Amino acid sequence: MLLDVHDLHVEFHTRDGVAQAVNGVSYGVDEGETLAVLGESGSGKSVTAQAIMGILDVPPGRITGGEVIFRGRDLLTLKEEQRRKVRGAEMAMIFQDALSSLNPVISVGDQLGEMFTVHRGMSKKDARAEAVELMDRVRIPAARERVRQYPHQFSGGMRQRIMIAMALALEPALIIADEPTTALDVTVQAQVMELLAELQREYRMGLILITHDLGVVADVADRIAVMYAGRIVESAPVHDIYKAPAHPYTRGLLDSIPRLDQKGRELYAIRGLPPNLMDIPPGCAFHPRCPMARDVCRTDEPPLYEVTESEAGRGSACHFWRECLHG
Amino acid sequence: MAEPRGGTEGRPAPATGFEKGAGPAGEPILEVSGLVKHYPLTRGVLIRKQVGAVKAVDGVDFALGRGETLGVVGESGCGKSTVAKMLVHLERPTAGAIRYKGEDVTRLSGKALKAVRRNIQMVFQDPYTSLNPRMTVGDIIGEPFEIHPEVAPKGDRRRRVQDLLDVVGLNPEYVNRYPHQFSGGQRQRIGIARGLALNPEVIVADEPVSALDVSVQAQVINLMDRLRTEFDLAFVFIAHDLSIVRHISDRVGVMYLGRIVETGTDAQIYDHPTHPYTQALLSAVPVPDPAAREHRERIILTGDVPSPTNIPSGCRFRTRCWKARDKCAEEVPLLAVPEVFREAGGPAAHASACHFAEEKRVVP
Ligand SMILES: Nc1ncnc2c1ncn2[C@@H]1O[C@H](COP(=O)(O)OP(=O)(O)O)[C@@H](O)[C@H]1O
Ligand SMILES: Nc1ncnc2c1ncn2[C@@H]1O[C@H](COP(=O)(O)OP(=O)(O)O)[C@@H](O)[C@H]1O
Ligand code: SF4
Ligand code: SF4
Ligand SMILES: [Mg+2]
Ligand SMILES: [Mg+2]
Repeated sequence: MLLDVHDLHVEFHTRDGVAQAVNGVSYGVDEGETLAVLGESGSGKSVTAQAIMGILDVPPGRITGGEVIFRGRDLLTLKEEQRRKVRGAEMAMIFQDALSSLNPVISVGDQLGEMFTVHRGMSKKDARAEAVELMDRVRIPAARERVRQYPHQFSGGMRQRIMIAMALALEPALIIADEPTTALDVTVQAQVMELLAELQREYRMGLILITHDLGVVADVADRIAVMYAGRIVESAPVHDIYKAPAHPYTRGLLDSIPRLDQKGRELYAIRGLPPNLMDIPPGCAFHPRCPMARDVCRTDEPPLYEVTESEAGRGSACHFWRECLHG
Repeated sequence: MAEPRGGTEGRPAPATGFEKGAGPAGEPILEVSGLVKHYPLTRGVLIRKQVGAVKAVDGVDFALGRGETLGVVGESGCGKSTVAKMLVHLERPTAGAIRYKGEDVTRLSGKALKAVRRNIQMVFQDPYTSLNPRMTVGDIIGEPFEIHPEVAPKGDRRRRVQDLLDVVGLNPEYVNRYPHQFSGGQRQRIGIARGLALNPEVIVADEPVSALDVSVQAQVINLMDRLRTEFDLAFVFIAHDLSIVRHISDRVGVMYLGRIVETGTDAQIYDHPTHPYTQALLSAVPVPDPAAREHRERIILTGDVPSPTNIPSGCRFRTRCWKARDKCAEEVPLLAVPEVFREAGGPAAHASACHFAEEKRVVP
């Protein structure tokens, strides 16, 4: 395993109380593999990623437990200076909002070049040449001319390509892309996702793709981890999960999306709202919204059961996963 | 070749979606023709000089039947919101007509305008910014009654507001709460309740569920679906999510750079698209089915949408179209049933603004 997150816990101490944002998340990615992390907003996807990258807001955030094993060592035990070396060189992150992650007053060429001057000790001139090549590689037209331009002079799709170039610069082993195409139109989203998938194959990187879009997941992921209230509720190879979900929340999500290929009747709607993270329901956190909930669900927290009917490591945090799988 | 100014010249009878096999029977409740909105681009501080125009909407025609839902799709910046704002009179058209029951609203003023405005209401995209944070939910929903007191006399308003809350699935006891006490989905319900307050016949919904999470999205879509039948509402439903539009619409218009480039019933557009832009758009939508990955054909468009200040001559899609030929730069394709399909009829025979329209199935 390239990355192995084990039983990660993160909480936020705020004026209003303690938000339990991540409550025992475990997931892993191999090299060349794409893991999609799916979940609605507030489910803890980004916070988990920030903890892995070492860019969590501390305080108010605090990691209260768990391990992040990357290439054999636990990143959570490293000193900040060592972490900084890992960041960028070995793992990199792509954010949803490229405009606010890029420096508006530095040309994109200088920002890309900085990766090489700072991490690789290259001369400015060589770094500039590398920047142009990177821009070429992410297929930004007229890279040689545009390298001098500033972020606002690029379209949303082009800016996202620059973010990808920046992440790729030092050929990291792992990329975490947090909703990289959420702000883009579908036609541009398709361009960017295709580019990302292609580069990932070429470099054999591990990719963690965070998204709330079940369509995007189906398009690119090998495995999928579904998050709810700071936990992984289902984890499975992508084909299995779409064929037959083993958790009622996953099932609800799949049933609630309108389809392009057929005229739907009434959509299934998961009732209620996601829980307040300062007051997560006891037992199974999903029980107030679950159509299958029984008494035991209100008291006993379900562990991530192994879904034994599947060959390729599959898990579901539902006491009644068997019923759900066959229901 | 010069580009037609205002975008309305040189066209035959506009395709409104009411041609053979395309539209609903009966009189349309709303009919839009040659609708144009150009925002002047000025330069200079002391002496402002117009140096061009943002052609946000550049010649849009459509018709909406009673109780019908027209879906409008297109990439961001193509003019969807501008059309919506003109329909509800938040923007004045540069040219064109908006007929409500046959009467051109753009020429009305005073009392007559007020009466029409009452019947066409809007639901906005962002439930976080479209509700005044300092007003109670009761005041927000009841606000339209201030302008149209004839709909609900003062003493009756609180009860009316509570009824509306009930209709959209919120607890009527919540009248005195403030917007921040509600989730995104609940706020969108409040927005819908306000839209319904004056018993309109038409609702213009601009990306009403785009800001919501999947599970909450389904709740709100189902609510709108139910209200539509219950109150016999006609909807203009604007969205960039093509799956949602298919789900909710009777007919669909596909917009590109300020114009509708293809229009037809949901089955015509999704299963038998003939315009290359529609085909590319549909093929780019990720489908939630990993099995479709291998056998699905993707049309990946190159480049970005051109600026609306500088619309390409001829066919406005030609800079991104893989089928473009010389003719496409010279002649504006009109929104009409393409000749090749006119004779044969069938689902491909719907309005499509392309010189070389061809049927191509892209949805798996
Ligand atoms: N900087 C912060 N301060 C306080 N709470 C935070 C902060 N960042 C995240 N949280 C809490 O963590 C929860 C999960 O956030 P996040 O991981 O961003 O969710 P998502 O799944 O949408 O990416 C939030 O709902 C919030 O309660
Ligand atoms: N008030 C305005 N002044 C100048 N340009 C505008 C104004 N409102 C919208 N536009 C421009 O008009 C075009 C269409 O915008 P809009 O109708 O909001 O598109 P959509 O809703 O399809 O995303 C965009 O290029 C936008 O920048
Ligand atoms: S454990 Fe119970 S409440 Fe939780 S998902 Fe399973 S059936 Fe539903
Ligand atoms: S008219 Fe020409 S450029 Fe326009 S869509 Fe048709 S083939 Fe493409
Ligand atoms: Mg997030
Ligand atoms: Mg808009």
